[in-house]
Amino acid sequence: MQLGKVIGRVWASQKVDSLKGCPLYVVQPLESSGRNKGFPLVAADPRGVAGPGDRVVVVTNTDAVQAFDRADAPVNACIVELVESIE
Amino acid sequence: MIFAKVVGKVVSTHKDENLQGLKLLLCREADHAGKLLPAYHVAVDAVQAGEGDFVLVAYGSSARFTDATRQAPVDAVVMAIIDDIQITEPAR
Repeated sequence: MQLGKVIGRVWASQKVDSLKGCPLYVVQPLESSGRNKGFPLVAADPRGVAGPGDRVVVVTNTDAVQAFDRADAPVNACIVELVESIE
Repeated sequence: MIFAKVVGKVVSTHKDENLQGLKLLLCREADHAGKLLPAYHVAVDAVQAGEGDFVLVAYGSSARFTDATRQAPVDAVVMAIIDDIQITEPAR
């Protein structure tokens, strides 16, 4: 899992059925210091927890599929948590 | 998922039987700003995408989680056609 910041939204009206109603965001991965790390990625938000500008936790690779109820969606990255603060 | 632009179709008659009926698209990778990158991918079409469309491609074993690709030997699938990317904050 990694920290990231939502920097944009992807609008796609035509998508596979398992992703209907699931927002897609552009997320910039962050270091723990808050600095940018690497290139932005696209992440699905099956629980609808995130919005523009939010800091989030992102799960990548095959494990991202587990964030969906039936673990059945073609995704490589998912937002699973909204970060309130880092101590 | 990665951003990509559909730049062509791959036609093949002799293929694995689990790939029968599936459309293969030649996709050129892009970044979130829409700038085309040098890499190309062949991906199965799950959303009726066509040439010129800006799409999202899921790769790896996740690509098998669509109705079209469940039993198929694939590692990339076009799973969304992008209408717009709205960047609210600059990446860098």
